[in-house]
Amino acid sequence: MQPSPSFSAPAWLRRSLVLLVLAASAVAAHAADLTVSAAASLTNAFKELGPLYEAANPGAKVFFNFGASGALLQQIVKGGAPVDVFVSADEETMDQAQQRGVVQAAQRRDVVSNTLVVIVPASARNVPKAVGDLAQASYQRIAIGLPASVPVGRYTKGVLEAAGLWSAVEPKTIGANTVRQALDYVARAEVDAGFVYATDAALMPDKVKVALTVPTPTPVRYPAAPIAASANAQLAAKFVEFLQSAPAQAVLAKHGFGKP
Amino acid sequence: MEGAWIALALTLKVAGWATVLNLVFGIAVGFAIARARFPGRDVLDAVLTLPMVMPPTVLGYYLLVLLGSHGLLGAWLIEQFGIRLIFTWQGAVIAAMVVAFPLVFKAARAAFETIDSQLEDAARTLGMHEIAIFFRVTLPLAWRGILAGLLLSFARALGEFGATLMVAGSIPGRTQTMSIAVYEAVQAGQDDAANFLVAVTSIVCVAVLLAAGRLVPGRVAARGG
Amino acid sequence: MIWDVELHRGLVHDGTRFDLAIRFASEAERLVLHGPSGAGKTQTLKMIAGIARPDSGRVAVAGRTLYDSAARAFLSAQERRLGYVFQDYALFPHLTVRQNIAFGLRRGWLNPARSFTDPAVGRWIGAFHLDAVAGHYPHQLSGGQRQRTALARALVNGPHALLLDEPFAALDKALAKRLRAELKELQEQLRVPLLLITHDDDDLRDLAHDVVHLHGGRVVAAAAVAEAT
Repeated sequence: MQPSPSFSAPAWLRRSLVLLVLAASAVAAHAADLTVSAAASLTNAFKELGPLYEAANPGAKVFFNFGASGALLQQIVKGGAPVDVFVSADEETMDQAQQRGVVQAAQRRDVVSNTLVVIVPASARNVPKAVGDLAQASYQRIAIGLPASVPVGRYTKGVLEAAGLWSAVEPKTIGANTVRQALDYVARAEVDAGFVYATDAALMPDKVKVALTVPTPTPVRYPAAPIAASANAQLAAKFVEFLQSAPAQAVLAKHGFGKP
Repeated sequence: MEGAWIALALTLKVAGWATVLNLVFGIAVGFAIARARFPGRDVLDAVLTLPMVMPPTVLGYYLLVLLGSHGLLGAWLIEQFGIRLIFTWQGAVIAAMVVAFPLVFKAARAAFETIDSQLEDAARTLGMHEIAIFFRVTLPLAWRGILAGLLLSFARALGEFGATLMVAGSIPGRTQTMSIAVYEAVQAGQDDAANFLVAVTSIVCVAVLLAAGRLVPGRVAARGG
Repeated sequence: MIWDVELHRGLVHDGTRFDLAIRFASEAERLVLHGPSGAGKTQTLKMIAGIARPDSGRVAVAGRTLYDSAARAFLSAQERRLGYVFQDYALFPHLTVRQNIAFGLRRGWLNPARSFTDPAVGRWIGAFHLDAVAGHYPHQLSGGQRQRTALARALVNGPHALLLDEPFAALDKALAKRLRAELKELQEQLRVPLLLITHDDDDLRDLAHDVVHLHGGRVVAAAAVAEAT
């Protein structure tokens, strides 16, 4: 008589379980998985690009991680996040990435551009006609991205500093962790005005209205680059190329982005 | 580091006020629920305990919707009193208060329920009116249990992040509490600031928990109470 | 008539429905409510004291009407000026003997201080030989000392009558006998009406001027009690 374990399964069950585990692990550890960390403003456009890329590359799966570019960089640098591609909303963040040696500098490319706008709540009575209006008392709360970690905040600070308005406006700013949060503050009318990208403003036409388009001292350009430590170097480089391709650019243009 | 001390002072102020308010409401509600007998009492207890188990961001969202300038309560407050709660330290106090409330309320209810009702009856036969009984018999016998809950609630309020961020935002000097300051320092790659904030916050939390532990009933030599 | 009591109350006792229908009147200064446990004695005493609410009835003690459902009259426990000694004494555990006894003398939100002195309190402490333990807490006292403290506390306000719930049940026979004699002497001195609950025959024999027998929530004749037991 064999010593029986507390659970003794019939042979057919054991074989099925082994097959099941193998199949599951095959799905879980798919070699052609790509993780892309991209700036928050790219959320809607990239969600559309994902299936497009997968269709053009059968067997590949793309996972997106959206957030403020500065925060995404910290995840890569500090956390060693298993990311394959990084797309940031300004050159400065990508420069920092390059300095830290975490990206393949040779394959860095600008993929889109954007414009900075000032928005107000749809129900707002005060609409600024020029950036200088924001220094007035009627604007008590102005949402901007946190300049330390959010590109849109840096562009905003650049604009305000160039116009000599930063010291007047800065005490009134409400810092947002991502550009989408700044958009949300305006949409909820918790602030009197906010600085976001034109592409973000276009998402909520019923809740916010664009008051001004603001030219920036530094052009708003989004660079993309494969991560140096990526396990899928080739696939990552292909994705960056894909972003520059005609079909991808068409989708991005549809969402309001400009040519790089 | 300068900003860190401001964040610490603000955190203590917000957590302090939230705890004081919870002291009053937690005791009042805990007492009411402990003494009342009505159907649905347990349902009410569960609802009041919800903030403790609900994800803070969910709670923060509810508060934002309720207290925002278009919210049911928020719009009324702005109209009647010109009070705006979003992006203010008072809003942060409310967020911290709601999140930590169940800790005081449950401790108070349990403490009141362990009191022998005969003691209160005895006080009645001796001519004491209800309020006097509460302050002279009920509360003195319940205070240790309540205080333990209060300290836990203070510790919870200190660490509040999700709901606070939603309701009060992150405004240095006004609503940027320690936990939010850590979050942003990490996002911005400001390691020194982050390390310092984390160290200070940890020390404060450990100190509070140690104090709470000493007040657990039974640990201190009983005075028959 | 010192005691004039009529009480009706529907109760649930150990899961079963139990209707209390009590009616008794007595001129006795020392009245004993006697009966087995579960007869409704404690409930009756609580309703007389005002700490339990009857469905209907009438209670008059020492010439004062404390409750009359027909006339919609109800004095709260606080207003009834009756001393009550609980079965397990219900001493305030966070107060000393002196503070417990003095409790009824202070009406505000603050308890009497540990150093509180008052001639009445001092008199009772002396009368009950509690001087040595006046600064002690209830958990440090013997059973007899607790009983005396509870009694002193109930008496310090000068109540119109005294209600006692099995005051000697927790004490050993010898101590009970001694304290019973002390209570009898005290009552004869103060002439304060006394209503005492017990299931103990010694209490009955030594103290009672008159007895009311309770059984199953009702007053029964002595003969019926003898039959039932």
